Amino acid sequence: MRRRTFLQSSGAAMGGIVFGAGPGFAANAEQPRRGGTLIWGHSETTQNLDIHGTATASTLRLLQNVHDTIVTVNHKFEVLPNIAERFDISPDLLTYTFHLRRDVKFHDGSPLTAADVKYTFERIKDPKTAAVNYDVFIAAQSFETPDDHTVVVHMSRVFAPFLARLAELGAGAIIPKDSGSIQGTKPIGCGPFKFVSREFGNKAELARFDQYWQGAPYLDGILEYEVTEPTVRLTGLQTGQFHLINDIPLERLAKVKADPALQVKTWFPLCWAFLNFNHAVKPFDDPRVRQALDLMIDKDALMQGALWGGGVVTGSPSFPSSASYDPAIKPRKQDFAAAKALLSQAGIAPGQLQFVFKVTTNYPWHVQAAQIMQAWFEEGGVKATTQQLTWADWLSQCWIHRDFEVTMMNFFTLWEPDFLYFSIWNTKGSFNYRNVHDPQIDAWTEAARRSTDPAERARLYKQVQARVHDQTHDVILWFRDGTVGARPNVGGLDQLVHPNGSNLEFRHVWLTS
Amino acid sequence: MTYLSRRLILFAITLLLITVVTFVLTNVLPGDVATMILGTRSNAVTLAALRHELGLTQPLVVQYAHWLGRLLHGDLGTSLIFKEPVALLLEQKIAASAVLVVLSLLIAIAIAVPLGIWSAVHRDRWQDMIGSGLALAGISLPDFFWGIVLILVFARTLDWLPSSGYASPIDDPRHALTYALLPSITLALSLMAHLMRMTRSAMLEVLSQDFIRVCRAKGLGAGAVILRHALRNAITPVLTVAGLQLGYLFGSIIVVESLFNYTGIGWLTYQALLNRDIPLVQATILMIAIVVMLTNLGVDILYTLLDPRVRLS
Repeated sequence: MRRRTFLQSSGAAMGGIVFGAGPGFAANAEQPRRGGTLIWGHSETTQNLDIHGTATASTLRLLQNVHDTIVTVNHKFEVLPNIAERFDISPDLLTYTFHLRRDVKFHDGSPLTAADVKYTFERIKDPKTAAVNYDVFIAAQSFETPDDHTVVVHMSRVFAPFLARLAELGAGAIIPKDSGSIQGTKPIGCGPFKFVSREFGNKAELARFDQYWQGAPYLDGILEYEVTEPTVRLTGLQTGQFHLINDIPLERLAKVKADPALQVKTWFPLCWAFLNFNHAVKPFDDPRVRQALDLMIDKDALMQGALWGGGVVTGSPSFPSSASYDPAIKPRKQDFAAAKALLSQAGIAPGQLQFVFKVTTNYPWHVQAAQIMQAWFEEGGVKATTQQLTWADWLSQCWIHRDFEVTMMNFFTLWEPDFLYFSIWNTKGSFNYRNVHDPQIDAWTEAARRSTDPAERARLYKQVQARVHDQTHDVILWFRDGTVGARPNVGGLDQLVHPNGSNLEFRHVWLTS
Repeated sequence: MTYLSRRLILFAITLLLITVVTFVLTNVLPGDVATMILGTRSNAVTLAALRHELGLTQPLVVQYAHWLGRLLHGDLGTSLIFKEPVALLLEQKIAASAVLVVLSLLIAIAIAVPLGIWSAVHRDRWQDMIGSGLALAGISLPDFFWGIVLILVFARTLDWLPSSGYASPIDDPRHALTYALLPSITLALSLMAHLMRMTRSAMLEVLSQDFIRVCRAKGLGAGAVILRHALRNAITPVLTVAGLQLGYLFGSIIVVESLFNYTGIGWLTYQALLNRDIPLVQATILMIAIVVMLTNLGVDILYTLLDPRVRLS
């Protein structure tokens, strides 16, 4: 098959994770074939392999193939049964009953039972575990196992996001009872591939799990090489050293797409980014100042400049296919006159406002974006100095100590709206490192947590977005595209990407030769 | 007390001091391993729990004492962020760094010795100027500068070699060599400069001696005089210096391996530092220190064997 089989996407449709089909795509729908080891050039280094203790997208991308979750979501983020073949929720949202499938086996051959689910949930809830998704279980009071295939979760109060959050690997992946201590080095789960080995910073190996409950995957195994340098990764794909790589350097994407010997798949979105102001630092407590800076940014030019066009400008941070996404919120157009007028209303003379713009070198495109914005701020009579921080320094200064004036950040996969809006904009939100304090947003995000009606929740979250936009609490910048490049002999790419936009599901993939 | 036992006691004290300094400095850096593990998923509750779990809430003295206690029992501990045993991580990475160091030593000797001879033979002529100029450039500019130049020339412009990465020499020897080449040359450059200068001055010294005049007088060709007689007498101190520099090379790998994303001990040290992973930082720094100190000791002993005039006391 030497056919040009590339996919294009994004921009054209905002209807969720869009896989635009190119002309030759049908050629790829060859019959799935069993066998072969797929060699994957992965863009990042994997870290702690304990699914409950890892927060990095890179590690989750690998572990997606080792674990499976109690429930799952489709591309519209509707919760679907998975390991639990059905679930009942009491009308008061205080009792969740999960009925487990009887044919689910762990990689050691033992059957998955209610005791394993109980152990998993209790392990995450126990503060001693320091699980990343600890907050999912904050309202869970007790776990009961009336029989081997039923788990009942009793809630102390209504916590509407609970079920959807269980579709995330960090909360919903079920591990065998008492396996916690080995998960960090030898993860064991009930997913389609067994973990074989890892050489830290270099490679990891997975092997097909023949007893996977949804049917054994096509591939014999996956050999993951961790190649963080984008050019080397791409060269590896071009020379055939890798069957597949993720994250093609955006500036090289057009050229790679034009290569008839490769398949390219782009999808939307991978993550979203925003510009942040520290609301506890004057004059950024003044919405007029924040809006003035917003008005100095040409969002489209910024996205083109920093992402080489590999994204879509947005005013709403909700996943585009989710119910709370609001396309009516439009990013502000660049308008220096209006920006200067707002600054003068706020009592700030041209040239008077100076600040430090902290960005992390962990995301090189943020550094580029900051430099572009700096030039616009200059034009608007505001002097910004860009300060580049390592990831450790950014986390320490901006995230933990909130010691910054202006910064920017991006987030992967916050598709669950409570996780997104409560965490980031509620005064008590875990991710509110900008000191945002807006009583209206607090009230709406609290109400959404207690609401049993999905439509009502979506309405509340849309109000939150509108408020964030009106008050310019932050400036939502863009959704960034995800990319995968593959050799022509890789099949099944259209189902590779998990609905969350970041994880890759290799059980759908096969090698034709 | 013998020389050796005194040196070994001094070793132990130096290593202990190194671990104290490393520990203090790593703790002075902003951020800790808990913030790195949780990244942008942390909140006050999980952060506090994780810090407690990792023992970061204990006084620094207690943390250090615990670490030292385990070390004395031969336990290097577990990496806090990667959750792998530190000993296993070192074991996985040592071969990669050994390949790099040995390769760069060979490259340095292979280039520096002929260049030094060439300079010495053409003393004060244009050939010497070129040789000495190259050596000066090698010594004067830092590793990372040459690394970036090499990446720009050989990876980006000429596209002959990969700019970064690593392959296991056992699984894939051909790729392993291509990945190791640029970092090895980078490492070799400053060493090469030292060795070239050494070769040149040793050769000059030997070439001015009477027995060389005798060789020439009895009609030996220039090649035989230089290679068979002069070089043989000049090479010993050069090789000794090369051995001594093995430790220096091992100390330079942090920058070079990180620059080329070559996943050896140096890269591991950098990862450990970036993530404030104290057990791993301690172990990697300790390992580099031990290698540096052992090679120094080895060379000192070697001196006495090669040159009976040298006595250790």
